[in-house]
Amino acid sequence: MNLVHVDDLDAIEMPDGFVWRPVRRHFGIQAFGTNAYTPGASGQTVEEHTEAQLEHQEIYLVLRGRVRFTIDGNEHELGPGQLVFVRDPSLRRGGVALTDDAAVLAVGGRPGQAHEVSTWEYVFVASPYVQAGRWDEAERLMQEGLEQKPGDPAMLYNFACLEARAGKRGAALGYLLAAVDANERFRTVAQTDEDFASIRDDPRFPR
Amino acid sequence: MRCARPVTSDGYQILSLDELETASHRGSNLIPVRHALGFRPAGVNAWKADTGGQLIPPHEEDGGGEELYVVVQGRARFTVGDEEADAGAGTLVFVPSEVFRTAIAAENSTIVFVVGGWVGRAFDVGGWDSFALANTYLQAGRVADARTVMEELIAQQPDYWPTSYNAGRFEAVADNSDAAFEHLRRAKRLDRAGESAQYFREDTRLDSLRDDPRFEELLA
Repeated sequence: MNLVHVDDLDAIEMPDGFVWRPVRRHFGIQAFGTNAYTPGASGQTVEEHTEAQLEHQEIYLVLRGRVRFTIDGNEHELGPGQLVFVRDPSLRRGGVALTDDAAVLAVGGRPGQAHEVSTWEYVFVASPYVQAGRWDEAERLMQEGLEQKPGDPAMLYNFACLEARAGKRGAALGYLLAAVDANERFRTVAQTDEDFASIRDDPRFPR
Repeated sequence: MRCARPVTSDGYQILSLDELETASHRGSNLIPVRHALGFRPAGVNAWKADTGGQLIPPHEEDGGGEELYVVVQGRARFTVGDEEADAGAGTLVFVPSEVFRTAIAAENSTIVFVVGGWVGRAFDVGGWDSFALANTYLQAGRVADARTVMEELIAQQPDYWPTSYNAGRFEAVADNSDAAFEHLRRAKRLDRAGESAQYFREDTRLDSLRDDPRFEELLA
């Protein structure tokens, strides 16, 4: 039987302080987006973010422990079996564990649209290798994402970030120029992104 | 029991699975989460049972339907295909399309949350869950509550023919033939692929309408 306990899922601690438990990726689910989160050292459990870019609606269901959610500036303390549905993708939301054993299941997607694996999943799964400077493994995972989402601007941009941090100037510029070509927004974002500090002096850098 | 719907703001909503009124569906107690939230990216619901009670109705999903079951509280005994397994709180069980699955509660007040959808296809609100809630109200003599559920369902997905079809079934069972024909005509009009024809011919819930001359229009 295809069964796992939330504590036995991979635990990927993200730089923002929460621990990502990749449910969708673990099972290979294609029909919908779902993941679990547990607290990192800071207690952050659900990342502070909006879904404005992806236009996803999301449900956060507390599976265990207690979590203080901040939704659109309002605080709500939720326990097991309680959920918050954030209908408006533009609302800022996040959750901090009030107990060490907290676990939250997230379900999300864009209404009226077939599920597509989000770019951030590939970035998240590569994150521990990036943090450890294990560039080959990180590249392999990002390459997997690019094969699944060819030409995806955010995937190209994040690949550029990875290559810049790995010291691969040519590859970084190639991916960055492709990202800007696919979505002009990334030209602006790149100007202040710390990941590109080592290549910003290059005449090929998009300005 | 009460229908808890604490809308916190226009942009978000909080609820407790324990506080939602349950509906009877094929021998199980459905916690109609999707209906309460109007959630549309995927199917979300929950099931509740005491020790020995049926949690998940025995069934298969077809057409690329994938489902994830999450034990929120208590303990459940799952049967998936030919395998059986106990699953405590915090356990996730994934079942792909065309695989038999069912579960019974191994502790009192066991709750299993379920997420479902189809691979490569947007989630459609078919409305079986709202229909289960409306039917539960109807059997309890709460016709106005039942009708409200069906109206909310149509408002959530007005152009999807199964929604109007289910509203028509409900009104047929409620012996309100005028409203039933209105919904069923709308379902037939919205169903450009003609998928409803077989249902009009075979659905026993429409039997109270079959002698009405208006039914011939639906079969045409």
